[in-house]
Amino acid sequence: MELFLEQFPIVVQSLNTGFLQTLRLFFITLLGAMPLGLVISFGSMSRFRPLSWLTRTIVWIVRGTPLMIQLLIVYYFPGLVMGNNIWGSGESGRFLAASIAFILNYACYFSEIYRGGIQSIPKGQQEAGLVLGMTKRQIFCRVTLLQVVKRIVPPMSNEIITLVKDTSLARIIALQEIIWAGQAFLKGSQGISGVIWPLFFTAVYYLLFTGILTILLGRLEKRLDYFR
Amino acid sequence: MSILEVRDIRKSFDKSEILKGISFSLDKGEILSIIGSSGSGKTTLLRCLNFLEHPDSGSIAVNGEILYSGDEPDSQREAEIRKKRLHFGLVFQSFNLFPQYTALGNVMLARELLAKESPDYKSRKKELHRQIEDEARQLLEQMGLADRMGNYPHQLSGGQQQRVAIARALALQPDILCFDEPTSALDPELTQEVLRVIRELAERKTTMIIVTHEIAFARDVASQVIFMDDGRIVEEGPPEQVIGAPTQERTRRFLESYNQ
Amino acid sequence: MKTMKKLLALLMALVMVFAMTACSSSSSDDSSEAESEVAYIQDQGVLVVGITDFEPMDYKDEDGNWIGFDADMATAFAESLGVTVEFVEINWDNKILELDAGSIDCVWNGMTLTDEVTSAMECSNAYCNNTQVVVLPADVADQHDTVESMADLTFAVEAGSAGESQAEANGFATTPVTSQADALMEVAAGTSDAAVIDALMAGAMVGEGTSYANLTYTISLNEDEGEEYGVGFRKGSDLAEALNEFFAESYADGTMMEIAEKYGVQAAIIAQ
Repeated sequence: MELFLEQFPIVVQSLNTGFLQTLRLFFITLLGAMPLGLVISFGSMSRFRPLSWLTRTIVWIVRGTPLMIQLLIVYYFPGLVMGNNIWGSGESGRFLAASIAFILNYACYFSEIYRGGIQSIPKGQQEAGLVLGMTKRQIFCRVTLLQVVKRIVPPMSNEIITLVKDTSLARIIALQEIIWAGQAFLKGSQGISGVIWPLFFTAVYYLLFTGILTILLGRLEKRLDYFR
Repeated sequence: MSILEVRDIRKSFDKSEILKGISFSLDKGEILSIIGSSGSGKTTLLRCLNFLEHPDSGSIAVNGEILYSGDEPDSQREAEIRKKRLHFGLVFQSFNLFPQYTALGNVMLARELLAKESPDYKSRKKELHRQIEDEARQLLEQMGLADRMGNYPHQLSGGQQQRVAIARALALQPDILCFDEPTSALDPELTQEVLRVIRELAERKTTMIIVTHEIAFARDVASQVIFMDDGRIVEEGPPEQVIGAPTQERTRRFLESYNQ
Repeated sequence: MKTMKKLLALLMALVMVFAMTACSSSSSDDSSEAESEVAYIQDQGVLVVGITDFEPMDYKDEDGNWIGFDADMATAFAESLGVTVEFVEINWDNKILELDAGSIDCVWNGMTLTDEVTSAMECSNAYCNNTQVVVLPADVADQHDTVESMADLTFAVEAGSAGESQAEANGFATTPVTSQADALMEVAAGTSDAAVIDALMAGAMVGEGTSYANLTYTISLNEDEGEEYGVGFRKGSDLAEALNEFFAESYADGTMMEIAEKYGVQAAIIAQ
């Protein structure tokens, strides 16, 4: 017990550092993937055939391969194949590579959710806007958008919660997120070695964070409850 | 001079021709009722007038101004079509209210967006807003919805929703107000409250085109009736003639099937 | 029919991409062989050392600085080249990828010189002896003190490690896990009966006064042939030769043994 109390602050500090990295990856992915997903969804719905075909192929490839492989490709490909390691060796390059892989991967998932949401809005909404003399842009911004948002909040919540946990995959390119930090004490770090509990303790961080997210997203859903 | 001149409108989807040359004209203050079985092309005709579909050929003129001509390439800019659309209002069968706006918001939205485009919008913002809101309130009161202005569409009955939709179309002061089977989605009881509103509009000499299944109503309220079948006008004239004493066999059969 | 053609075209395109990557990867290898890596490192001014947290070779002190026998030796080697050292934690499974992609310049982390390692990397001379030992719960250790008595135990081993090959050579039933530390956790958690890990690591982490006080290590599986630690560089790199010279010098002037004593591995050091 004494030993545990001695270890606890050291472990928590190290896990906090790891979790900060997890959070950074999470937020930067959301920030990048949400708008990029919209661009991709417009691409896949484009009436210009080659464009929609190309975007749908990209979405197929990205959704059809494991994120772990994509991380390996993004980080190692430039150095291995082009003989030019653009990422450097340190944490910042690994973080950047992980961010790009995560943003691209999640943008593709988001784009399909957006597409489903946009296509589920009855055509009558667009037509009603048109006969009222509204521009397509006005119709999208003032009429369709909020209805789409309302429809995609539940599936997006799912993806967002999954993203929190998926960030742990970045471990494969040695991004030191929270699980990495927890595992370090197994092998030995800062004078503590062979200690198992920090690894399992990381779950508490995930639980707390996904709990907060669940509440926030639930509130957003409630907020949009005023119309149907 | 007639307010609306439609000449030889044709429209095909894929390979089947839905409108096979439709021509008619309408005077200001007249009420035209278009009847006919499903698939006769009456809804398509209404959609052509509102530029939701592009006719393949023919012409449409309002107040002598040609809005659409099949002779010209159809590369019309969106901005031009928008302006032309404002000559017409359209009330849909399925209401198509915007769910995230209140009844009042639905009526005001398009007017406000339009006002923003006027050059003196910035200086007269408050004044314009008040004016639009006042007019919208008036319209809703006229529709018998004085106590429903703050309600969202899902809190309203079908009849109430359709009356909001009518107010929304009227807010833009169209030259011609079109109805696409406005009561088809409603119970008989709710149908009556919508028909009452349309009848009131008729009394105020609102120019209207009404596509409807309510033969009795058409006979009662319309000044002109067109019976369409298979993309053509089979018979047209005052209701007493077309509905009361049809000369064409096809019209008679259609009306008989309704009376049964 | 049309979609079939499109699919075919797509597959062809994918094959092309893979073929091209294969070609260009071989050509990039050629170019790196031609240049001197020592000159490259000195030009960069930094030697990037790929490591994992591995007591007593590479681990962090209380201030977060990397220490250990390997870390200290790497620092000294970098100094001798006139460059600074940078330690980068890597995922051990990807050590060859990291090296070839250029995100690290060497793997210096108590790496056993296995066939896999020597064929994929340019390796230095061996500098440290090691054996693979069996780790068991202390209370059952005396029932299993020979290879024969271990026949019906299950063994956790690090995938691709020297321990795994030794366990398999003795006909043990093995469960591969991602690291030696995970193998120890398996034994502690009872999910495996025993583990096979490096003697150096077992010495630091198993037994009384360590984190795994309830475990102990018994026999060595390859005492006779033994195994050795070395440092890995990119294939064809002249850094390996430079390190061999540095090893010889520092062994001769005693600094190597000095560092070894600091971390308690002096008995395992190989004369240079």
